[in-house]
Amino acid sequence: MNRLLCANFARLKKDRVFWLGMLFMAGYGAFIMFGNYMDSIRYGKKFYIDDAFFSYAIIVGITSAVFCCLFLGTEYSEGTIRNKLMVGHTRGRIYLADLIVCTAAGLLMTLAFLITAAGIGIPLFGFFHTKPETVLAILSGTLIMVIAFTSVFTFLSMMIQNKAVAAVTVVMTVFILLFTAIYLFSALNSPEMYEGYSYTDDDGNVVEQEAHPNPAYVSGTKRKVYEALMDILPTGQSLQYSSMSAVHLWQLPVYSVIITIVTTGAGIIVFRQKDIK
Amino acid sequence: MDYVLTTDSLSKHYKHFKALDRLTMHVPKGAIYGFIGKNGAGKTTLIRLICGLQQCTSGGYRLYGTKDTDKEISRCRRRMGAVVETPSIYPDMSAEDNIREQYRILGLPSFDDIPDLLMLVGLEGTGKKKAKNFSLGMRQRLGIAVALAGSPDFLVLDEPVNGLDPQGIIEIRELILKLNRERQITVLISSHILDELSRLATHYGFIDRGCMVKEISAQELDAACRKCTRMEVTDINVLTRMLDHMHLEYQVLSDTGADIFSAVDITALVLALAEERCSVSAIHQHDETLESYYISLLGGNRYE
Repeated sequence: MNRLLCANFARLKKDRVFWLGMLFMAGYGAFIMFGNYMDSIRYGKKFYIDDAFFSYAIIVGITSAVFCCLFLGTEYSEGTIRNKLMVGHTRGRIYLADLIVCTAAGLLMTLAFLITAAGIGIPLFGFFHTKPETVLAILSGTLIMVIAFTSVFTFLSMMIQNKAVAAVTVVMTVFILLFTAIYLFSALNSPEMYEGYSYTDDDGNVVEQEAHPNPAYVSGTKRKVYEALMDILPTGQSLQYSSMSAVHLWQLPVYSVIITIVTTGAGIIVFRQKDIK
Repeated sequence: MDYVLTTDSLSKHYKHFKALDRLTMHVPKGAIYGFIGKNGAGKTTLIRLICGLQQCTSGGYRLYGTKDTDKEISRCRRRMGAVVETPSIYPDMSAEDNIREQYRILGLPSFDDIPDLLMLVGLEGTGKKKAKNFSLGMRQRLGIAVALAGSPDFLVLDEPVNGLDPQGIIEIRELILKLNRERQITVLISSHILDELSRLATHYGFIDRGCMVKEISAQELDAACRKCTRMEVTDINVLTRMLDHMHLEYQVLSDTGADIFSAVDITALVLALAEERCSVSAIHQHDETLESYYISLLGGNRYE
């Protein structure tokens, strides 16, 4: 497998999409920090680095998706995966080597954001106000989430031999998962009760409106299912990490590890049986 | 005879379609084996199977005597190189970088012999030019160079001259001959460009609808395709007696026909036969090429 990793990383070093991803994530880190700095000056509002530092958790899912499907899709579209199979490398090793290089690329793109955002954000806004252990937990959680993301994208990219179809499927998947998570996040954050309020009507009478239940409030089993989905879906995790609102902070990496193991196991089993053209 | 590759009742089914149907073939060591068949006959499917890209439905094959189900088959595959359908190269890399990538995949410790490999395939002057800017012939040669990384002694080429211009075809032909003669590399070439194959191959395998129709060496084919005079007579015994008497080389085809390979005085022969009350019903010159052999073997207008 060392030989495959050596070849994959040599290719990664020269991959244009990877460097564009690195540049994008670094640029995004700078944009977020400078943008918030300008807003804090314009509106005179105190800004903490904590407020936006983990926003990469959402974006890295999309950049990893684009990278994975193009990097691995090339292996099929140009037939270069045959060069690995024909010289006797086992399919399991080929799959794992591809997963490792995609994961490394995802983590490096995350690192590009972190270095830029921290390099600009800490001098501008100071260090984190949240407890260091919470920051570390979120940071390590996002890194494990990136592994879950890349394992899902590697699975899809290795299953679909047509590069264009793989690209559309992977990007559609990440957006569907993201919109699902946004919907769940929004539903879970809607208030249980609308607060009471009073107002003066056209005749000068003070009308008092009492607090009343929100019909869209999700409760009972449905709420538990929504919460579980938010914790399990990598995009759900990314929303929770980016807004630093994760309730089950220590459970999320466990779900990410389970997703990684399940998708990789299934991927290797299916890839072993797959007819390569 | 030593065989690099043998298949034994090899079958590959895609749902209800039989791409290969109990195919048996033998590729001798040191041969240039021309694998002939029309589009969809199963040539590429066989190559995919022996390259480990797909798994057979039933039957099996042996590579250097190792069964496909044996764990050692992976090690044996390191002794073979292949270009399946299109050259497997990264378009955004130069020729040298593509070969370096394959060296890494093979775990070769040094890149020192890459210039020699590039020179062998005639790509020594391509520098940093990316493979996507190469001509079709150059890409094909780069694909062969990648397949040659690791110095294999069995090279599998699937339609290597498809789409090439005449110059490209000549270059690939000379390269294959050079590899076979100078490096003793056994070559399996699938093609339906028969004229081109006839200039290269030492052995032929004719495949149709997933079945091996005939395996024949070039020598046997030459013998079968020798220029001759084909005669149809009423009494074959009289004809053979006359031919023996005239010291002519011949081959009896049936109860009424024979091929005469030596130059023959037709008038003298016909007169001699007439004296023995043997009539000549037909006589014509017979000069078969690989193409006509292929047509006669696989049958007329159903085929290319």
